[in-house]
Formats: sequence, structure tokens, C-alpha cells
Amino acid sequence: MKRYLWPVLSMILVLGVQGNYPSSLTIMGAKPDLVLVVLIAYSVVQDPVFGASMGFIAGLLQGAAVGMGVGSFLATRTITGFLAGLVPTRVFSENPIVPTLSAVWLTLVCEILFILGNPRPSFWAAFHTIIGECIYNAIFTVILYYILRSSDTRRKMRLVNARL
Amino acid sequence: MIQLLKNKSVITLIGLLMLGVLIGSLHGRSRDAGRPFVVMNLLDSALYPVQAAGHAVRSSAATALRIGRPRKSILKENAELRKRVRELEMENASLKEGAEESIQLRDTLRLSQNLPINTVAAEVISREESTWFDTLVINKGRRSGIKAGSAVVNHLGLIGQVEEAGTHTSKVVALTDPLSAVGGMVRRSRACGLLRGQGADNILLTYLPKDADVKRNDIIVTSGMGQVIPKGFVVGRVLRVVRDSTTGTTSAVVRPSVKFEQAEYVLIVAGQGGSLQ
Repeated sequence: MKRYLWPVLSMILVLGVQGNYPSSLTIMGAKPDLVLVVLIAYSVVQDPVFGASMGFIAGLLQGAAVGMGVGSFLATRTITGFLAGLVPTRVFSENPIVPTLSAVWLTLVCEILFILGNPRPSFWAAFHTIIGECIYNAIFTVILYYILRSSDTRRKMRLVNARL
Repeated sequence: MIQLLKNKSVITLIGLLMLGVLIGSLHGRSRDAGRPFVVMNLLDSALYPVQAAGHAVRSSAATALRIGRPRKSILKENAELRKRVRELEMENASLKEGAEESIQLRDTLRLSQNLPINTVAAEVISREESTWFDTLVINKGRRSGIKAGSAVVNHLGLIGQVEEAGTHTSKVVALTDPLSAVGGMVRRSRACGLLRGQGADNILLTYLPKDADVKRNDIIVTSGMGQVIPKGFVVGRVLRVVRDSTTGTTSAVVRPSVKFEQAEYVLIVAGQGGSLQ
């Protein structure tokens, strides 16, 4: 249960930030989805069960914040979290390429699934938005991934020092 | 296949997806019935302080960025003068901020006094929590008499409709959202149609008669059809008219009079139906 605490708190925190972006941050209709960023960054270093559960919580929070498409948010985020959880079992996750590419393809899968359930009037406009969001999410995921990794390293060092 | 279904992670995924579908359908059902969904309502109440704090931080940061401009100087004797300049700038910036807020509040108040219908004033505390929906959150909910479907306006015109009313907050869906559909009318010729969001900055006035009298720069107002949104709220101006000879239909691309992302103070029409005229 303890391992869920920080990710959930982070998600609630970024929801407060996400709803108050300055409009200048939006480029071609795209902006970072910080809840998805937190979900991916935490899940790629964990397992699929953690990923799916975190995805479910992310979907629930985002659905509550938006007030529409609750089922779509729940389903897409749960699948995305599950897939993100599969990443470390397949690829060596210390490599910076892994979180970057993971953020891109996971955002792509998540948003494509989402617009399949919630069709948009213009396919190309939605496609531009998804591509922009992929790039944004990749940048933010790498930043968060390294913050999490360095804090994890510090924690392990403290444990080792305490044992010595 | 059986081996896959015995996998703990796959079972978790399937279980969570089924729960997600259940919550989604229950939420949809309670929204259609116009009553609050308890799970979302609880989460809504939990998220309200975070959204309000985010809004407060954003406002403070915007003010700080405006007033806290760092100035480096090379002359020591100028320190006192620089300090004085900064003080005056701070005073000036907060006065400007106050004046801007005062203008918006005055416009909102004037609109509230001039409208022949009951309205509730609210402040926008969060907006666009998702890439795919043009929504915003206001700081008034059912406790203030807000109901789902109510029109949300400011001094420039119609902004959207209340999608869901929580206890303390409400979700507003913008006219530009693809899920939004409101009855519209050309003010000059009284030609009626349906305003549908396009997901960008424009709205489409569709289902106009084939020979509808509509031209560029015509003002579009709400038609009052459906008895939900009162008649006569300004929606925007016609950017271009599209006449499709194949299908024999006419539609008009409308630029909304209100910039959704710039709305800070809004009025919610308490009752449904009625007319401004």
C-alpha cells in the first residue's frame, strides 16, 4: 500500500497544476498531460499490477476532474498503466532512451484508444494534438523519471550507510 | 489462453477494466438522470482544495511575474532610487491587477443586474483538465442552486453549459467542445439552426434551411429551442458560410464572442428556458 501513496499524492497535486496551465503553454492544441506523465514515470519502474492499479486511480481522478468520459478515462489509463508496467520486465530501464520512448508510445496508445471511444470531428487536428502531447509528455516523463531515480538512489545509499 | 488468464497481472487488468466500465456506465446513467454520482462527488470534493490552491498559486505567480521584475544596477548610490522605483512598480502593478479585476467584476455585475432572469455569479478555478474536452470548473455547485444544463454567460455572451453540478463546484462544457449542442439563430434574419462545437476555436451553425439568409459578420444568438438555454444570448459572429449544393444544406462557421480560456468570472442562469427579449 505504501508504494501507492506518493504516486497518488503526486497525481492529485499535478491535477491542481494541470487545470491552471498558462494558455501560452499550449502549442498547436497540445499540452502535457501531467497525470499521464506521473502514471508512466512511476509505472515503468514497477510491475504491471502496480501500473494497472495506478492507471485506474489516474482515470478515476481525471474523470472526476473533467466530469465527462469517465469510462474512457478509466479504461485508457488502466491499459496504459498496465503496458507501462510491462516495460521494465522487457527492457533495461536505466537507459534514458527507455522512459523517453515509453512516454511517446504509451501516450500514443492511450490517446488513440481515447479518441476511438470519443471520436473527434477532425482526425488531423486530433493527430496533431496527439503528436504534440507525445513530445511534451516525453520531456516531462524523462525529467520526472530522473528525479524519482535520484531520490531512489539517495534512499538506497542511506540504507546502506545505516547498515554499515 | 488459460495460462494467460491464470496470470495475476492479467486478472488484475481485466478486473479493473470491468470495474471501470461499471463506474463509467453508472456515472453516465446518473448524469442522464440529473442526479450526482456518489463516487465522483466524493472525488470532486477531495479535488476541490487542490484545484482552488492551484488557482491561487497561478494567480499569485502571475502577479509575482508582473511585479517582481529583477533589476541589476552597477551604481551603489542608485540603490535607494531603485528601491523606490520597485515600490512604485509594485503598487502600480497591484493597482492595475485590481483595476482589471474590477472591470471584469463590474461588467459581470452590470450583466447580472440587466438580465431579466435569476443568475448566480461564480469564479473559474480550473480549466481544461484533459486534452480532449473544453471544460472548466467553477467554484459554485448545487449548494448555490446550480443545476446541470444551466447556461453559463459573461458580459460578452454565452460561454457554455453546466455539464455536472457537484456540491461545491460545477463542470462547465464550452460551446466549442464537440459534445456541445445548443440551438442558435441568426439575429438579423431569424434563421434557426443547431450550434455544434468543433473542438477548435470555432462553432458550426448547422441544420440551417437550404436558402437561409445568413452572411459573413452576422451575429448569432441562442434560439431558446429546447427550453434549456434562454433565447437571445450572443454566441458570436459568422466567419464564413458554407453552402453544399450536393446535400442541399447550409451551415455557418461561427467565431465565439467569448474566449473560453480567458473567462474568469461568469454568471450561471439559475432557471431554465425563458427569453432575454
